[in-house]
Amino acid sequence: MNATPLWASETFWKKTAIWVTAVSFLLLIVLTFDSMAKVSAGSTTRVPAYSVINKKIDYRFNASLNRYTPVVEGDAPLFGKILSDEEAEKLVTLGKKTFQAKNCINCHTVLGNGAYYAPDLTKSWLDPNWVDETNREILMLAFLQDPPGNARSYGTGRRMPDLGITEDEARGLIAFLKWTAAIDTNGFPHNFKTLYAQENP
Amino acid sequence: MIEPVQLEDFFLNVFSAAVIVVSGAGYAGFYAWGKIARRPGFVISAYASYASLAAAVWVLAETSHFEGFWRVAAGLMLIGYFAAPLAIFRLCTAMHAGEHSEHDRPIANQQQEEEQS
Amino acid sequence: MSVGVLDSRNLNGGQKLAVKYFTVAMVLFVAQILFGLLAAVQFIAPGFLFETLDFSVNRMLHINAMVVWMLYGFIGAVYWFLEEESGVEVVGLKLGEIAFWVLTAAVGIVVLVYLFLQIGAGDDTTRWLINEGREYIEAPRWADIGIVAVMLVFFYNVAGTFSKGRWSGVSGVLTLDLVALVGLYLAGMFYTTNVTVDYYWWWWVVHLWVEATWEVLVGCIMAWSLMKLLGVRRKIVQTWLYIEVALMFGSGILGLGHHYFWIGTPEYWLSIGGFFSALEPIPLVAMVVHSIYDAGVHKFKSTNHPALGWVIAHTFGNFFGAGVWGFMHTLPQINLYTHGTQWTASHGHLSFFGAYATINIAFFYLAVQQWRGNVWMGANLADNGWKWKWSMGLLNLGVVGMTVALLIAGYEQSFIERAVEGSTWSGYFAAQTHPWFTEAMFWRLIMGIVTAAGLALLIWDLATIGAGETRPALVIERHEEPGVKAAVVQTA
Ligand code: HEM
Ligand code: HEM
Ligand SMILES: [Fe+2]
Repeated sequence: MNATPLWASETFWKKTAIWVTAVSFLLLIVLTFDSMAKVSAGSTTRVPAYSVINKKIDYRFNASLNRYTPVVEGDAPLFGKILSDEEAEKLVTLGKKTFQAKNCINCHTVLGNGAYYAPDLTKSWLDPNWVDETNREILMLAFLQDPPGNARSYGTGRRMPDLGITEDEARGLIAFLKWTAAIDTNGFPHNFKTLYAQENP
Repeated sequence: MIEPVQLEDFFLNVFSAAVIVVSGAGYAGFYAWGKIARRPGFVISAYASYASLAAAVWVLAETSHFEGFWRVAAGLMLIGYFAAPLAIFRLCTAMHAGEHSEHDRPIANQQQEEEQS
Repeated sequence: MSVGVLDSRNLNGGQKLAVKYFTVAMVLFVAQILFGLLAAVQFIAPGFLFETLDFSVNRMLHINAMVVWMLYGFIGAVYWFLEEESGVEVVGLKLGEIAFWVLTAAVGIVVLVYLFLQIGAGDDTTRWLINEGREYIEAPRWADIGIVAVMLVFFYNVAGTFSKGRWSGVSGVLTLDLVALVGLYLAGMFYTTNVTVDYYWWWWVVHLWVEATWEVLVGCIMAWSLMKLLGVRRKIVQTWLYIEVALMFGSGILGLGHHYFWIGTPEYWLSIGGFFSALEPIPLVAMVVHSIYDAGVHKFKSTNHPALGWVIAHTFGNFFGAGVWGFMHTLPQINLYTHGTQWTASHGHLSFFGAYATINIAFFYLAVQQWRGNVWMGANLADNGWKWKWSMGLLNLGVVGMTVALLIAGYEQSFIERAVEGSTWSGYFAAQTHPWFTEAMFWRLIMGIVTAAGLALLIWDLATIGAGETRPALVIERHEEPGVKAAVVQTA
């Protein structure tokens, strides 16, 4: 039997496998610590504090980054009431829990992840579909509580079912979606034109 | 920073990506088969596959507007796809080196063939 | 020992448990396809079952049934070779049996709750008892805990049996891989309001399962099959397994970054994710070379043609579904448009089917062969083996057909919705009503029906193949203890 050279031997590759795995995993851990520090709500501008729902959110093209970035400016309290940090977090939390409890993700995507039967919700708060700022909250509240009754479908015939969403849950969902709309997603979805951009192009 | 693909380049972009992986496997496969079967024709097909891979990398890099880091990555891709199959083939031969002193085929299968003939 | 009939006396302890897992896996495979078809119909006729079994419910059942049946298949496959690989009986077979029934009861309850309760109020109770509402891991928290407990029993059986008997390279890799696989599941078992953090960890489960730990688990199963069925030498198989681990983990762990482009995570993930996921096809290319080498050098003959056919389908399916379809949309420059479109679904179908459904089906054929007393399943099958050939043809045609239809739909969607219309809701619907899209959805349904026909034949074939067959299959085993030359073990 010819001897197998070292670089083709079982022990060599065993060691290589262990080292490669360990180093990759270690790098992932380091990157995870860094990312977690940068995406906890309010720590940087990437993922805003929950109280961002008290503000006006829009997007503007940032030439140096070559993409649209969120701009948070001026007060625009949700449902006409400025909330404390705790109240804001509580409302967004109700929204996120409702989002999970109603299984929204198996029709929609958010941040582009989920199902493809209904539109992406990442920037739904800013979608021109809500006509303008004054109508938006009223339309959203009505829609979530009675989706089939307020369906638009745009000619697809697809309607959102009645999920038994209460008014409180609807308010929570809207807060959650408003907060989500302010996350800096590196330019996704591409070329998105907000409701404001549509108003004054 | 990235510069997204232009609308009119969509097809070229994804098609070249597919060509890279398929030609990569074609190159590796033809090379291995050519060596085993000692058929130089296959080795020529292997290099032709590599040429199509290289062209596809170029198209991908252009349509994806590669700059800086991404250009380096495309260069590494060219080198990696060239060298990896050769390395893997040598690895396969070296691993199997000890084997040919024994039976190449499992004994039971030989019996089976005899039974069937 | 009886030949030609399904008889559990033909199986060892671990194998008896394995066939239970395989049986449930097949039932769930049927459920997967059934709910997939319902969801596909709803794309064409949105009123179908509206507010009875909505798209969201059907889709959830479709993908959950898939994940669970594949896991059942993997657990079964490991129990299948556990005794032969370790040289001793499974240490906690009774416990394993109980765990199987507990898991199956839990799965049954979860399915009933999904079907009849579906959703709940926006509070913690819903997440604990009804539905977690996170794609692929929708199982409510109580079920998560049950799943982990069952996996621990499984893990105890694997590690315990190898410790009692003998360890090998294959069993070592397998055991460590199972630790990672179960550990990763824990990363998906907590609630957070921060949707970015939520997705960060969710991808640990989804990506690090299918692109790292599942690939290696399949590598172990393949390694064992190669030794057992084709008589390839252990040393070669194990060296190759280590190479595969190095390549898979080396590219796949940081390749995770291709899911961190757009979820709110820092920009450096664009480079890291793009770079490492571009490496991910390399192990798949390497496998192609290796199989060509083996085929060329060994000229193997197989006593189980259906299993061999599905192993070949696995090699190709893994290469195209994960390697080619994955690489096509993995660079951020293009993923910006394709992210979260039917394009993703195209890749999801070809990769899950190509990489994991195929290898499970191959193993089912191996199991049936042994269960019938290790009968001949090579050339010259009764009926010319038309059933397995047709079912394999239909299943592959169906899935490839769906993949192509979804690719066309996804291409159109990236183009119209994202690039032209600027990703608004009206842009979304403009893309959904475009003729390319609606026709693609029609063809997806047709190809789904083809897939379902293939599955029906597969079940029929698994239930009948080898029945009444009397020719034995010879099993090859090469012992490599020092001094012992290749030996032929004939189990008949
Ligand atoms: C057998 C292995 C693989 C399986 C089973 C698999 C499966 C999937 C599935 C199901 C998704 C969709 C997840 C969702 O619902 O959001 C996905 C997404 C993705 N996969 Fe894979 N995949 C595999 C390998 C690969 C490889 C090797 C690559 C890259 C070369 C890749 C690149 C991607 C990318 C970029 C996405 C994100 C798509 C998007 O942005 O929407 N995958 N994969
Ligand atoms: C009769 C055959 C099938 C039909 C009609 C079907 C239909 C569907 C539908 C309608 C969806 C939802 C897509 C969306 O959200 O828009 C889906 C998702 C999915 N299906 Fe299937 N399917 C079938 C077979 C399979 C098979 C055989 C597999 C894999 C083994 C599979 C894996 C998946 C995966 C991974 C997803 C999630 C994709 C993603 O989120 O990107 N399906 N399927
Ligand atoms: Fe991935």
